[in-house]
Amino acid sequence: MRQGAANRLRRETIAVAVVSLVYLGCASLVTNSYYQLILSLVPIWALFGVSWNVLSGYGGQLSFGHASFFGIGAYTVALALLYFNLTPWLGIPLGAVVGAVAGVIIGIPTFRLRGHYFALAMLAYPLAILYVLQYLGFQEVSFPMHREHPLYYLEFSDQRYYTLLAVVLLAAGLLVCMLVENSRFGLALMAIRQNELAAEAAGIDSRRWKMRALVTSGAIAATAGGLYACVLLVLTPDSVFGILVSAQPVVVTLFGGVTSIWGPVIGAAILVPLAESLNAELGNIIPGIQGVVYGAAIIAIILAAPDGLYWTIRDRWFRRALPEPAPVVAVAVAAEPVASVDRSGGELLRVEGLSRSFGGLRAVDGVSFSVASGEILGIIGPNGAGKTTLFNLLNGVLSADEGSATLDGQSMLGRKVHQVCRMGVGRTFQVVRSFPRLPLLDNVVVGAYGAGLPDRSAVDAAVRALARVGLHRQAGTQAGQLTNKQLRLMELARALAGGPRLLLLDETLAGLGRDECDEVLDVLQRLRDDGMTIAIIEHTMHAMMRIADRFVVLDHGSVLASGAPRDVVEDRAVIEAYLGKKWLARQNA
Amino acid sequence: MDAVVLIENVANALAAGITIGCIYGLMCIGLGLIFGIMRIVNFAQGELLMLGMYASLYLVTGAGVLAFLGPYAGPFIGALCAGPIVFVGGVLLHKLLISRVSGLRTTGSLDEGHFGQLIVTLGISLILQNGGLIVFGSTPQAVRTPLASRAIEVSGFYGDATIFLNKARLIACGVAIVTAVTLYLLLEYTRLGKALRAAADNPTAATYMGIDVDRAYRIAFGIGSGITAVAGGLMATYLSFGPFIGLDYVIIMYSGVVLGGMGSILGAFWGGLTVGFVQQCSALVLPPQLQNAAIFVVFLLIVMLRPQGLFGRSAERA
Amino acid sequence: MLEIKDLSVAYGGLRALNDVSLSVAEGQFVTVVGPNGAGKSTLFKTICGVVPAVGGTITFQGTDLFKLPAAMRAHRGIAHVPEGRQVFRTLTVRENLEMGAYTKAGRAHWKHTLERIHALFPILLERAGQLAGTLSGGEQQMLAIGRGLASAPRLLMLDEPSMGLAPAVADTIFERISQIHREDGVTILLVEQRVAEALELADHGYVLETGHIVLDGSYEKLLSDDKVRRSYLGLTEA
Repeated sequence: MRQGAANRLRRETIAVAVVSLVYLGCASLVTNSYYQLILSLVPIWALFGVSWNVLSGYGGQLSFGHASFFGIGAYTVALALLYFNLTPWLGIPLGAVVGAVAGVIIGIPTFRLRGHYFALAMLAYPLAILYVLQYLGFQEVSFPMHREHPLYYLEFSDQRYYTLLAVVLLAAGLLVCMLVENSRFGLALMAIRQNELAAEAAGIDSRRWKMRALVTSGAIAATAGGLYACVLLVLTPDSVFGILVSAQPVVVTLFGGVTSIWGPVIGAAILVPLAESLNAELGNIIPGIQGVVYGAAIIAIILAAPDGLYWTIRDRWFRRALPEPAPVVAVAVAAEPVASVDRSGGELLRVEGLSRSFGGLRAVDGVSFSVASGEILGIIGPNGAGKTTLFNLLNGVLSADEGSATLDGQSMLGRKVHQVCRMGVGRTFQVVRSFPRLPLLDNVVVGAYGAGLPDRSAVDAAVRALARVGLHRQAGTQAGQLTNKQLRLMELARALAGGPRLLLLDETLAGLGRDECDEVLDVLQRLRDDGMTIAIIEHTMHAMMRIADRFVVLDHGSVLASGAPRDVVEDRAVIEAYLGKKWLARQNA
Repeated sequence: MDAVVLIENVANALAAGITIGCIYGLMCIGLGLIFGIMRIVNFAQGELLMLGMYASLYLVTGAGVLAFLGPYAGPFIGALCAGPIVFVGGVLLHKLLISRVSGLRTTGSLDEGHFGQLIVTLGISLILQNGGLIVFGSTPQAVRTPLASRAIEVSGFYGDATIFLNKARLIACGVAIVTAVTLYLLLEYTRLGKALRAAADNPTAATYMGIDVDRAYRIAFGIGSGITAVAGGLMATYLSFGPFIGLDYVIIMYSGVVLGGMGSILGAFWGGLTVGFVQQCSALVLPPQLQNAAIFVVFLLIVMLRPQGLFGRSAERA
Repeated sequence: MLEIKDLSVAYGGLRALNDVSLSVAEGQFVTVVGPNGAGKSTLFKTICGVVPAVGGTITFQGTDLFKLPAAMRAHRGIAHVPEGRQVFRTLTVRENLEMGAYTKAGRAHWKHTLERIHALFPILLERAGQLAGTLSGGEQQMLAIGRGLASAPRLLMLDEPSMGLAPAVADTIFERISQIHREDGVTILLVEQRVAEALELADHGYVLETGHIVLDGSYEKLLSDDKVRRSYLGLTEA
C-alpha cells in the first residue's frame, strides 16, 4: 500500500458507504417504475465506467471497445441461464471470470500495439463478436420467465431490488478501484500512462501491469454487463456489443473525471438520467438524441476541461480546502550512509565497440569507454553527437548492432528496459515526467516499487532517496506545485529509490539557472561522496568542468577524446569539434 | 460441384473484388490523407462516408436538384457532387473542432495529440450517427439506378462459365479510378497539392516557407472528407445504407490505409483495393455475416504484423 | 533592417532568453555564437514566430513582427534555414525548392533563383527528382539553404548549418554562405557553434550564453576575448 493509504481507504470507504445509503434511501422513495429503471441504470453504467477507468484512465490504454467485456458478461449470464438453468447469482461471477479470461485473450495480441492503434484495434473486437453472434443465431435472447422464484432467478417485479444490487456491486467495484489506486498497481499504471519508457526505466514491467489492468477491467465490465442483462431480460448483440455501449464508459468517465474513483460515478449520475429522460421524452420524435448528447458531452469536456468535472472542480475550488496530509515523514534516516559504498575504484561499467546505425547514419559508432566505481563521468559533445542514443543502447531502449556493455561483468545488452533497471542502473530523461496530482513521495516510490521492494521498505527507500537530494521536507507536496529544479531532483530521487549502482543522467541541468544548477551539482557531488557512480550527459560546460572526474567526448557517434577534464578541453580535436578548425589555426598562429 | 461452376464462382468473386476494391481504394484515400499523411486519428471517417451517401441520395432522388439527370447518370454525378458538399462540412469540422486537438498545436506533445483526437472524433462520430438517425431516419435507403440490376456478361473463357459485371458497380469503379487519379495529379503537381504535402511532412518548416499550415490542414481535411464522401455516394448505388453504416467501414478504411503504408496516397488506394478484394473473395468460403468479422481479423493481423504497410516505401519518420 | 530589443522568451516556466537586444543592418552579415543550450535556436524561432515571446520587441523593416502571424513573415522576406535542416523528406529535391519559392517574391524570381541555386549547389540539380529524405546530411543542408534562397529573401537566417557535418563539408557550406552574402547581397544572420569560421565571415558578432548576450563586437574583438573560449569549454578563470 502507498503511504497514507490506510487513512485514505478508510475515508473513501466511508464516503462510498454514505453515498450508497443516501442513494438507496432516495431510490426507495421513487415509485414511478421508469424512474426506478433509470436509478438502477446509473450504478450499472457507473460500474462500467469504473472498469474502463482502471485500464484507460489509470493505465492510459485507451479502449474504444469495452463493450466486448460488457457483452461477454451479459451473454454469459443469459446463455448460462437459458441452457444450464444457472442462477444469475452464479452467472454474474461466472461472467466476470469469462470477462477476465477474455481480457487475457484480447490483451496478448493487442498490447503489442500502442496509442491510437491500440484504441482502434480494441474497437474491432466487439464489432467482430457482434457479427459472430448474429451468425450463430443469437439475434435476440430472452430470459425465460421465472416469476415463481424471483430471488433465485433475479427477476424482481420491484425494480428497486435491481437498484440495490447494482449499488452493492458498484460499491464493490469502487472498493477494487480504490485498492488499485492506493497500491503499487495504481502507481505502476499511472507511471505507464505518464511515460511508458520512463516507467520501464524505473524498473516497471509495463506489459505485465497493463495485462493485469485489462484483466481486472474486463472482470468488472463483465459484472456490469451481467447485471445489465438481468435488468433488461432481453438481449440483442447491439444492446450490449454496440458502439454506443462502448462509448458509454468512455463518456461517463471522461465527463466525470479520469483517474479518480468518483469520476465515473459523477459522470453516470449526470449523463445517464439526462440521456435516458431525453430518450423517453423525445425518443419517438428524435430517436438518436442519447447519442447526440453523449457526443456533445465528450467533445465539450475534452475541449473545455480535459480532466473531467471532478478534477476541474477540485482544482478550482478545493485546492486550499484540501490540505495535503502533513509531511508524512520528517525523517531521521536522512543522514544514514548508503550501504553499498564501493570505493574500490574498480571498473563498474565497461562499454566496448558499441555501435548502432539508423538507416545509413551511424549514430553510435564503435564507442568504448569505462566508468570506475564512485566516479562521475561526463559525456559531452556537440548536438547530434549520439549521446542520448548511447544511453538508450545502455539501458535497453534500443538494441545495439554490435559491441558489448557490461555492468560489473554482467552483460547489459539484450535485456528489456526494466530488467536493466533491476540490474542496478537508474536513468533520468531530458524531459521530466511527474504525476502532478500525487504527492512527491508517491512520485518517488514508483522507483522503489520498480526495483521490486515490498511496500514498507519501498516507502523507506523513497524517503531516504528524497533526503539524499534534499527534498524530504516537500515529501507531501503535490508534484504539480514543484519548481523545475525540484522536479529534476525528484527525478533523481526516483532513480535513487531503486538503489542503483550506476546512474545515467541525461541533461539533468537543462533549463536551470546558474544558482539552481549549482544546487543540483552539490547534490550530485554528495552522491558521489556517498559512493554513487554516475555517468552524465550535459551541455553546460562550466557545470561539467566542476563535477566530472573524467570526460568522454563524442562527435559523429564515436569517441573523440577521453580523460581528465583539463586535458580534454585542451585537446585539439575537441576544440575543433566545438569551436572549429579555424579557431585552432588562429590559436596556434 | 463441377469445375465450370467453381471457375465461374471464383471468376465472379475476382471481378467483384476488383470493382468494389477500387471503390474501397477511393474511400481509403480520403482517410489516407487525414490519417496517413496528416496523422490525425479520425474516428468519424465512416460517418463522412455515410454523409456522402445521404448527400448523393438527397441530390438525385425525389425533389433533389439533380433529379433531372435521371436514374442513369444521376446517381454517379450525385456521388461526385457529394464530394464538395462534404468537403465544406469537413473544412468546418476541422476549423471548429479538429484544429483544436491537432496540427501545430500538438506537434511535439507526448502523443502528438492523439488522445484528444480520438475523443473528439468519437464525439463527432456519435453526433453524426445519431444526428443522422434524427435527420435521415432509420429506414434503409438506396440511390436506385436500374443499372444496379443489369450486368455485362463475359463468357467463353472456360466452357459455359460466365462473369457477370454489374453495370452500376462497373461505372462506380470507373468514377472512383478517375477521381483517385485526379486527386493524385492534384496533390502531385499543383502548388496547392505540394503545399499540403509539405505542411503534412513538416509543419514547422512549412511555416518558415510562408505556408499557412492551419489553412493547409483545413483544406486537406476537407479534401479527405470529400473524397471518402464521393466513395460513399458511389457505394450508395449498389447497397442500401442507414445512419450507422459508417461503423462497418471505418475499420475497413484503417485496414486499407495501414496496409498501404502510411503517408502515401497510392498506397492507400492499393490497400483499400486489397481489402475489398479479400472481402469479396472471402464470400467464396464464408457466410455473409462473417465477412465483416473476417475483415476485422485481417485488420488486427495487419496492424500487428506489419504496421509499416505492405505497399510502397515507408514514410515513417525516424 | 532587423531590430531586436529586450527580447525575453520562456518555455514552460524556463527562461530561454533574457533581455536580448541585437540589430542587423541591410546588407550586413551578423553572427550569433554561443554554446549548446544558450538559446540561439530559440532566438530564431521567436523571430519566425513559432515560439512566442514574453517581452520585448522585434521589428523588421519597420514592421512589428509580433503583429504578423508566423506564416506571413516569410512573405515579408525572412527566410529561415532551421537547425537540423528540416527538409521535407517525402518531397523531391525540386519540390522542396518550389516550396521555398512559395512566397510571391520567390515565384516572381523563380527561374533566376533556381539557376543561381543550381550554380551554388550543382548536386541539387543532379538530385532534382530524388526524395529529400534520401539525401546525405551535407546535401540536405545544401537543400535547406537552397530552399531558403528560393524565396528571394531580404534576410537569410541560418541556424547551425555545420551541425553534424564532416569538417570538409562544413567548409564548403561556409564558403557558399559567404558567396551568397558577397555576390547576391543578401543580408545574413547566422547562428553557429564553430566560432572562428562563423565570426570570420561576419561584420559583427554576438556571444550568447544561457540566454544573455555577454559580448558583442567585431571579429577581431571577439576572437581576442577569452570569454568566448571559456563560455564554450567551461573553463573558469585560470
